[in-house]
Amino acid sequence: MNTIIAHINDIQSVENLNIVSLTCKDTKLKMMSLELNDTIQKNTKVMLTCKPTAIAIGKKIQGALSYSNQLHVKIISLEIGVLLCALKLQFGEFVLESIITSDSQKRMQLQIDDEVTALIKSSDLSIARVLS
Amino acid sequence: MIDIHIKKELYGANGTMNLDVNLHIKEGEFIALSGKSGSGKTTLLRILAGLEDAKGTIQVDNKLWLNNKKTIPVQKREIGFVFQDYALFENMTVEKNLLFVNNDKKLAQHLLELTELDSLKNRYPNRLSGGQKQRVSICRALMKKPKILLLDEPLSALDPTMRTKLQNELLSLHKEFHTTTIMVSHDPSEIYRLANRVIVLQNGEVINDGSPKDVLLKTQGSQKFSFEGELLDIKKIDVIYVAIVAIGQQLVEVVVSSAEAKNLQLGDKVNLSTKAFTPLIS
Repeated sequence: MNTIIAHINDIQSVENLNIVSLTCKDTKLKMMSLELNDTIQKNTKVMLTCKPTAIAIGKKIQGALSYSNQLHVKIISLEIGVLLCALKLQFGEFVLESIITSDSQKRMQLQIDDEVTALIKSSDLSIARVLS
Repeated sequence: MIDIHIKKELYGANGTMNLDVNLHIKEGEFIALSGKSGSGKTTLLRILAGLEDAKGTIQVDNKLWLNNKKTIPVQKREIGFVFQDYALFENMTVEKNLLFVNNDKKLAQHLLELTELDSLKNRYPNRLSGGQKQRVSICRALMKKPKILLLDEPLSALDPTMRTKLQNELLSLHKEFHTTTIMVSHDPSEIYRLANRVIVLQNGEVINDGSPKDVLLKTQGSQKFSFEGELLDIKKIDVIYVAIVAIGQQLVEVVVSSAEAKNLQLGDKVNLSTKAFTPLIS
């Protein structure tokens, strides 16, 4: 399971809809959520998770993107299948997995040691556990 | 309004169990009592009704229904009880069934109109459908204007359409009479629609007590769409894995990566969850 440990800096709410702002190292992250339980508050440490299929990859990005979560990562492994490609990405001490099509991998010429951007929509990121 | 502090040793399928319940119930509350079979739900209702003895106290308003010295008999407890089976008097018409409990024709007429039974009031129970019989039972339980209405899975024998209809009628009756109601139910949609509070019993003890949304919404972290299931199969396709999971009567497929698949074993009880933003409703 993809996991990232991050700190909650702020929670903006409208009725039961929330946008949680977090940081992990120097990277700013955002998560969209309905009701949050009482243990999820400002200054708590949480374990975030995200499906590998919900992580897109950007290389030499120009222009603006709506993705709230843009993580600078390094490709540490590639498993290239007939249709799909599973990438392992180093993000600080965390390893994330991304599944993209093999066509995209070829088109972008993604290779081990490439420094790329992992892109995650705020609605695809969720809190797996509260740590403190 | 109702204070319950009771203890009773029960002999169930898994040996002895101690029913140990302390509850404060406010006037007019609609409570759903939930929990696995054998957790003590029906026994708790029967103790409240005075059909079974227990140690401890039950106080309703300022009247003691039970303490260590005395117990008030069933007929003096202002209680209406509806069971899963209808228990109507077969030799009496619908109207007579109601009037037998309390000879108040005006109230009987009002209840029969509210539940659309007015045109059937001269019929005998053997000429009624299951849903109609249960409506008569509910009306009859309300004839004494009870302080507490106890419902033991009253709708579980009915088909889904009739269930929804009777749930709506129970709701209208509760709005009109404000009778404090305790209903045993296992059906989350029924609990959400009717109750303002859910109490979950397990092995004779209250393990959860709160609003239906707080108690029933199975969430894990911030995931709102969550189900428990059994992992039936997992197979590799290209560089991903597809897991087949049985949830209730249905099978679903979930795509997992090799890292996620590593920790899974066939037969595992698994929790499937996703964010509230992802599922499509059609």
